[in-house]
Amino acid sequence: MVLPYHLVKVCGNAVFAARGSDIHSFTSTLEYVSTWKYPAQQREESNGPSAEAQDSPAPEGPPAKRRRVEPGQGPASNGHRADSANGQPKSKKAALYDVPANERPFVQGLYATTDGRHLVAITGSDKTIWVFEHDGAGNLKQLSQRAMPKRPCSLALTPDNRTILSADKFGDVYSLPLLPSTTTAATALSSAPTPSGSEPPLAEPKSRSETPSTPTTTAAFKPQADELTVHTKRNLKALENQKISLGRRALQEQLNRPQFELTLLLGHVSMLTAICVGTTTTTTTEGNGGGEGRKVREYIITADRDEHIRVSRGIPQAHVIEGFCLGHEDFVSRLCVAPGGKDKILISGGGDDYLFVWDWVRGQLLGKAGVLEHVKGVVGQEAASKVAVTRVFACRWEAGTGVFVVVERIPALFRYELLSDNTLHHRETIPLPGNPLDVEAIETSSAATPRLLVALYPSEATEDNSTSSSLMALDKEEAGWRQSKVENLPAGGSDINIGETELQKILYSTESLRKLSDFD
Amino acid sequence: MGGDRIKKDKRQKREDYRAAMRKEDISELPRKKFYRQRAHANPFSDHQLIYPPHPDQMDWSSLYPHYVVDEPQDQQTPAALPETAPSDHDLAPLQPKRISKDVEVADIGCGFGGLLIALAPTMPDTLILGLEIRVSVTHFVEDRIKALRAQNQDARLYRNVGVLRANTMKFLPNFFRKAQLSKVFVCFPDPHFKARKHKQRIVSATLNSEYAYVLRPGGIVYTITDVPDLHEWMVQHFEAHPSFERVPEQEQEADPCVGIMRTETEEGKKVERHKGQKHVALFRRLEDPAW
Repeated sequence: MVLPYHLVKVCGNAVFAARGSDIHSFTSTLEYVSTWKYPAQQREESNGPSAEAQDSPAPEGPPAKRRRVEPGQGPASNGHRADSANGQPKSKKAALYDVPANERPFVQGLYATTDGRHLVAITGSDKTIWVFEHDGAGNLKQLSQRAMPKRPCSLALTPDNRTILSADKFGDVYSLPLLPSTTTAATALSSAPTPSGSEPPLAEPKSRSETPSTPTTTAAFKPQADELTVHTKRNLKALENQKISLGRRALQEQLNRPQFELTLLLGHVSMLTAICVGTTTTTTTEGNGGGEGRKVREYIITADRDEHIRVSRGIPQAHVIEGFCLGHEDFVSRLCVAPGGKDKILISGGGDDYLFVWDWVRGQLLGKAGVLEHVKGVVGQEAASKVAVTRVFACRWEAGTGVFVVVERIPALFRYELLSDNTLHHRETIPLPGNPLDVEAIETSSAATPRLLVALYPSEATEDNSTSSSLMALDKEEAGWRQSKVENLPAGGSDINIGETELQKILYSTESLRKLSDFD
Repeated sequence: MGGDRIKKDKRQKREDYRAAMRKEDISELPRKKFYRQRAHANPFSDHQLIYPPHPDQMDWSSLYPHYVVDEPQDQQTPAALPETAPSDHDLAPLQPKRISKDVEVADIGCGFGGLLIALAPTMPDTLILGLEIRVSVTHFVEDRIKALRAQNQDARLYRNVGVLRANTMKFLPNFFRKAQLSKVFVCFPDPHFKARKHKQRIVSATLNSEYAYVLRPGGIVYTITDVPDLHEWMVQHFEAHPSFERVPEQEQEADPCVGIMRTETEEGKKVERHKGQKHVALFRRLEDPAW
């Protein structure tokens, strides 16, 4: 089984593309540069910055439910990938890929800082956020690896490029510094008021430092019930047992805590699917200094499986909900703040038949643009009854704003245009020789339109066209779209023992967010 | 086998009883034994919930029929439509019938509705809504309200209470707009003793932000529980939340709602019977800081 590229990200002058659990880098002209491989074995000793945040050592047994991919002692049989990134020789991969498909740590997200100096990646089942330094030419140096309490679904970076916002499957948004400070213990408390004041002198780095809105519950675990609230004999006995096992629990808690700075900002009681940062700029005439000033406010916009889009204030007031953008009737899977001076416009897509255009500052729906109707144009009227939008990507396009949309399992890219009156219109459907998985724009100074880079899952019909067709560049020319495959892709990715159905499960995971209607 | 049949009979009886309660226009109070349901519900599961996509699309008229505003059909449209010009797609779905007031008091996890019923006559001009996740229990409260309205037709009582089946942990903002509520009651919530179930608690750092969103500045969250540690948990989480401050004890005891909450909730009565303790704490929604 040949793995396709499933994520692409432009970072400075380089382009990164993820295939399986590896990240390949290319120049902006799409020449292959290098590869970062998912480390074959998680080492326990710290070793320079690459082990900045390692797992808790877990002396006895697996730390329950912490990481699904444990470096079990798999059969160290095949010697593929002898050159893994941190010099760890082989062995681990085989073991990793023997676990069920959905537990393989595929790269689930790639994010770049606006200055192009750092790349951030999420890997799936091991819940890890990776930060890389980018030298500008496509070479990555791994700076940190942090395993989150729950699986991150989407990340955003604050405009100052210093903080990662991680939205997870459990509904919580955490902030963590892009570059972990060396003196974690001292800074971790931030400005959080500690209500109890019972903060112990921090022997370990203050883990899971909580939001201003969360009290620091450092007290040892106590049974929550007492003899007055428990009425049956059996429950009394259970209470007793609970008290006995206190010590063990405390130890477990200790082990389960992340060992790095982590602040809970906000949360939904629902799986989060997307997060982005919006900014507003207002001119103030008052203010401290007097005279005119520009006040830039940051907001955190989060979307969940239960149709909500929430707008919260940015750090440090993330506990204040400014509003909601409500109107979706199925899950929301993608958010996109319009670029180029249209930063009050948010485009969202998901399981509904439409894209929604919002004034997110006022929580107002401005309009909708059909998706299903255009999908039907690709696959036929009967073949499509619902859509799952997997990408909404906006960029400069000619004189205006182009919005590119990817729909799960649909072999086409849909181009919309966001007009100056903030209406969104479908402009064209670009058929592709496979199902697109991700899309990015590579800015070129010469052309009126940026070049598009599409990661796609080649359909079987084009199997004869060699295996390297999963990265494709699209250039808009007068005659139409010129599609060119990226040649000379690095080898590898074909030695992975994964079935077609398993792979599809990983690559096409958005539709599964839909709720079953006949379920109670 | 025999047990099975008995079970079936019981279920049948239940259904018959409840069908009768709905059908006939009787003003007899419903009996709890036909509406019992397991005390816990998983707030994370999808259930089969009905909720509006947006508070503006919530149809309150069936809950508060006496407050429906009679408007001529054609006059309704211009006022009800949002300011923005709708494009070719339907931006403004059919507007529900409007009622003359907004709901201002919510009882989250109202259970069998003791608090609602006790509060209703004390604030006759305020709309009170109970929210409960369990279907049968919600039906009980519906039938109870219906019966009470019929019994007190002349006094026009209980027209200001309603109940909804809802998962408030997920869908509170679907029902209420920002700063719509003045009081939120959280009475004897499920304690969720296990540490790993704490996220299911109705009071948490992240959920408190949603309560702050639906409450207007100066609005009050009322909490009561018989579990000391849960009380402590709720106090800690609300006090640590920058949008709330605790209401001082003196003011708390002067609030007539507190007395009602202590004595009139079903759970409160049960705790009374067991001679348990009742812990009360009130929290005031503060103004948001400058931004």
